[in-house]
Amino acid sequence: MALLNNFTTACLRNFQGDRLHNQLFFVVRALHKSAASESYGMSTAREEAMAERLITPSDAGVKTAVKTLKDMPGPSTLSNLVEFFWRDGFSRIHEIQMEHCKKFGKIFKSRFGPQLVVSVADRDLVAEVLRAEREAPQRANMESWKEYRDMRGRATGLISAEGEDWLKMRSVLRQLIMRPRDVAVFSDDVNQVVDDLIKRVCILRTQEIDGATVLNVNDLFFKYAMEGVAAILYECRLGCLEDKIPEDTQDYIGALHLMFSSFKTTMYAGAIPKWLRPIIPKPWEEFCHSWDGLFRFSLIHVDKRLSAIKDQLERGEEVKGGLLTHMLVTKEMTLEEIYANVTEMLLAGVDTTSFTLSWATYLLARNPEVQEQIFTEVTKTLGPGVVATADDVSRLPLIRGLVKETLRLFPVLPGNGRITQDDLVVGGYFIPKGTQLALCHFYTSMDDENFPDATDFRPDRWIRKDSTDRVDNFGSIPFGYGIRSCIGRRIAELEMHLALTRLIQKFHIGVSPLTADVRAKTHGLLCPSAPINLQFTDRKN
Amino acid sequence: MALVTVFRRLALVRLREYTRRSAAVGPSAWLTGQRSFTTGTQTLRSDNKVTIHFINRDGEKITVKGSPGDSLLDVVINEDLDFDGFGACEGTLACSTCHLIFDEDVYKKLGPVTDEEMDMLDLAYGLTDTSRLGCQICLTKSIEGIVARVPESVADIRQSKDGSS
Ligand code: HEM
Ligand code: FES
Repeated sequence: MALLNNFTTACLRNFQGDRLHNQLFFVVRALHKSAASESYGMSTAREEAMAERLITPSDAGVKTAVKTLKDMPGPSTLSNLVEFFWRDGFSRIHEIQMEHCKKFGKIFKSRFGPQLVVSVADRDLVAEVLRAEREAPQRANMESWKEYRDMRGRATGLISAEGEDWLKMRSVLRQLIMRPRDVAVFSDDVNQVVDDLIKRVCILRTQEIDGATVLNVNDLFFKYAMEGVAAILYECRLGCLEDKIPEDTQDYIGALHLMFSSFKTTMYAGAIPKWLRPIIPKPWEEFCHSWDGLFRFSLIHVDKRLSAIKDQLERGEEVKGGLLTHMLVTKEMTLEEIYANVTEMLLAGVDTTSFTLSWATYLLARNPEVQEQIFTEVTKTLGPGVVATADDVSRLPLIRGLVKETLRLFPVLPGNGRITQDDLVVGGYFIPKGTQLALCHFYTSMDDENFPDATDFRPDRWIRKDSTDRVDNFGSIPFGYGIRSCIGRRIAELEMHLALTRLIQKFHIGVSPLTADVRAKTHGLLCPSAPINLQFTDRKN
Repeated sequence: MALVTVFRRLALVRLREYTRRSAAVGPSAWLTGQRSFTTGTQTLRSDNKVTIHFINRDGEKITVKGSPGDSLLDVVINEDLDFDGFGACEGTLACSTCHLIFDEDVYKKLGPVTDEEMDMLDLAYGLTDTSRLGCQICLTKSIEGIVARVPESVADIRQSKDGSS
């Protein structure tokens, strides 16, 4: 239990390519003044060279001169270092994003040693950048992930793969888990996990004196999310929501925990140049060690399914199954690619979903009128006690609004990254190919221009009057947009919609006196900075 | 032996090809419901092809035919129509590049829009009140002869258009 307390993970940290990763990476680079093995990004020299060229937009006959990176505002390298090392900026990345946007405008540059990051914090500019993507967009440098995989003879998965490799796997996987109706097939499996979630709430609250409080709900939602993703990815149950968690599952949680606890050090794993490893071996060792654990777990479950399929075939039986079976039987990806992808998906799918569920229930508890409004919609639409399925969700617009609004206020990935693959002109600045961009989603989703009264929690702002009513929502794209957007989006949505609907039907969710204001902090992902304790009281149906 | 037969059957079903082909609405999800690898019936394709007129970005009219059950995106792919950047996510509702614009009376005939399609439409470039995503529209006889206009292309912020990356 304690293990799971405040269980967040750094797992996505590398991949998310948000400013945290880049900043850490660059800061470390800068500190070590390393002769980098791989040239990352653009050198100062190049930027200066760029400045000499004055480019005018080729289109539209608008004769405004395009500015260069040299003209772009931004914090100084030194103030960045101070911000991050002396003032613990790492846990406030989303706040620093806000401060910098306010101070420097909607496009600005930050420098971390030799590395330059251009932050884009304007809804329309973010749209322009994402719409200009090519067939295999790149998020950030994934060298350390690749190096581990090469060393162990493993394949890369969707998060760590690039170029052709990525596109090949993405084409296979998107045909399986991206379309809403393909994912709706998992509705019953997910609902069984929701059954266990509800039972667990009932057990946990009896352990408190008031008979209602569940301490640190994220602990519970972490287990729910893990169980839910595993039910789909591995076609089996892990027992996370049982009283006694099976040993291999516990080992896996341990590996995730290691990733988390050694967050900063494993971050350095990718940043510390190889030649320094003999002197500072720990970060790289821990990085490898946690990956070993994550892969081991996937191997166990994939191999189990594979041998079951072989047995069935030998007995001449028909092979039936879900996602994993499909992948194993059709062999569109190699076995190694399957291992790598289920590993990376499990990693990407657990904390993201659980943090969002924690925030959603927290917001419901703090806004009882909103909770009542949603409760009314759910009971009116479904009838008392009826269990919702994927097909019912379209009739529950406030449930969808609840998830969207939660992710707007607490976007699990407060920023995302892209390495430009063309020379671009963004916001009047010439940005050369190969530049690391940071898309500031946290800022755009809290911008009053995009969302009036942006700090208010209003799930109904997402409700449409009719099908031509538009909600201009590039300001809040918590799953990204386009061909490299979150592949687990529909799975995550299904898990969250079904869990929240049932929780709202069953319980009145209230704040526990033990919980005051909970603020967000960045720890790779945007997560609660303190345990969220909530009271779950039975509704009279 | 058994192994061979199962894989042969599988090859026949070719679930992926199958879902890709019929990217649009209909109970054609992979492993629908029963999740058996030996079931999965192809939609019967009659010879009654449906005619669609596309208007490309240069304003040219291109007339093609498609099979009932196919999506408008399938038609664009099958007919090799060259609309730059169209259908980037292969009909999986992640991109909105398959955006098409219709006349109002046609728009009304196209059937209901799912929430997920509306969400992606919100992110489409040059959105209108009669916009839809081509990958979500299924050909039926009732839309015979409709006109689908490909919207203006995104104001391209790319400076190098050589395609090298
Ligand atoms: C609330 C839940 C979730 C949120 C907010 C979320 C958000 C994101 C975001 C913002 C990205 C980056 C997209 C981009 O760069 O444009 C991403 C990528 C990804 N997510 Fe999620 N995610 C969630 C749940 C999941 C789940 C449940 C899974 C797995 C089943 C998953 C698997 C992935 C993978 C594999 C990628 C990398 C995709 C690629 O590079 O092709 N995510 N996610
Ligand atoms: S092809 Fe991407 S949404 Fe239609």
